Amino acid sequence: MKMTEKPKSQRTTLAAGRKELQEIVETCEAISERKFNPFFMDVKFGVETLRQYFPHWETFKDHCLDAHTINRLSEVVRLQNTQLKFQSSALYADPDFVKRKVERMSEKRLAEVFLQSWHPITELEQLTNSTVSDALDYWNLLTPIADRWKKRESSRGKDPGTADSETLTGLGIHGKEFGKQLTELWNELRQLYGDRKVPIDYWSFVKGATYNETVQRAYYVSFLVTYGYAKLQPEGEQLTLTPTDQPSEKAVSGAVSFPIPIPRES
Amino acid sequence: METAETKSFYSDKLKRAMHLLLFRRGKMPGAREWELKEKVGKNYQQVLDQLNQLLSELDLEIKKVNEPRSEEMGSDAGHASLEEARYLVALKGTLGLKEAKMIGWRIDNLAGLSASISYLVSKQGKAPREEIEKLLAHKFGRWKAVTLADIFLRTGYLEEDDAGVMSLGWRTRSEIDLRALMTKMAEAKV
Repeated sequence: MKMTEKPKSQRTTLAAGRKELQEIVETCEAISERKFNPFFMDVKFGVETLRQYFPHWETFKDHCLDAHTINRLSEVVRLQNTQLKFQSSALYADPDFVKRKVERMSEKRLAEVFLQSWHPITELEQLTNSTVSDALDYWNLLTPIADRWKKRESSRGKDPGTADSETLTGLGIHGKEFGKQLTELWNELRQLYGDRKVPIDYWSFVKGATYNETVQRAYYVSFLVTYGYAKLQPEGEQLTLTPTDQPSEKAVSGAVSFPIPIPRES
Repeated sequence: METAETKSFYSDKLKRAMHLLLFRRGKMPGAREWELKEKVGKNYQQVLDQLNQLLSELDLEIKKVNEPRSEEMGSDAGHASLEEARYLVALKGTLGLKEAKMIGWRIDNLAGLSASISYLVSKQGKAPREEIEKLLAHKFGRWKAVTLADIFLRTGYLEEDDAGVMSLGWRTRSEIDLRALMTKMAEAKV
């Protein structure tokens, strides 16, 4: 054992201490968020826990945790004090009592109770000299509608055009590269299908590392299915893929279109 | 001669104070104390007292509302610094059910607001949003509960922080007599 290493028992104490302090902090924070009554926390016990582990702390991080726990406990003490003051005030009502009452009262009765304590604000919205002047400035600076429409038209996206086979090959959706990708994907599918002969789940097969890759794989799979390299079968809510042994390499006659939307999260 | 001068002086100040209180300029209605001091003068308190007398005949009153200072509800509320005070004109009396409907409030919205505010008060002014929604859902259904909570937030009756904890909003503090609400709620027959 190296000299710098701590004995096992000390390491256990440190780990247990950190865990306990973390739990105290979490409980205090839940109280601050009004998830529990402030008196749910036994502050005395919390302080004793801090005292118990304080001699074991060595690192800066441990001391920070210790200070943070004290801070959270003091917040709970403040909330306990507030609760006591509140309970002694005229506004005090037990939350469960209010809840039960609300549940049993009719909507009309609840509205009537509210109206008896409601004094709505009176106000007027109006035009002032300065708002009229601001509006006039805005109007004078405003470009005529015809010019604004012109701007909008010019910012419209590119019109649809034609792409030659070279462009498509460059994009990897035509030519030798395309055929190579299809063969690779078909081999992958056959490999997965292997000896087990169990249909492959469509989504697990199509899913790529990124959304773009998923769309690309789905695109290639659509060709595999169309040209008879694979069969797409719905099984209940699941879609499965089965590679075929002897592909026809021709578009299947009488085939139906089966659109599959690809959500972003897939 | 002196009396006439004082009268006109006050009448001018009364008008100025009234305009400040009634016409909305920013996001919130009413006037801040420093605005009144600046536009009406140091004796703005006397001007407001006189204005209050005039308004009381119309079932209206000037209300001084302090910005929230701490979580200590219902205790020493008048200790906020003067700069934090806002003055508003509010209804002195109360509205009936028919009148409330006439000014655009639905009974179920009022009932939901009543339930949410009384529950929040019983929880010392703060509660997780889920608790409020659960309480409302028991009466109005889940979807309506979510919509109602959003309406109350939008209208300023409730507020929500980043942690999803709801509290009483500026409008609740300005318009609702919380003591009266809790008393009526306790007294109400089911």
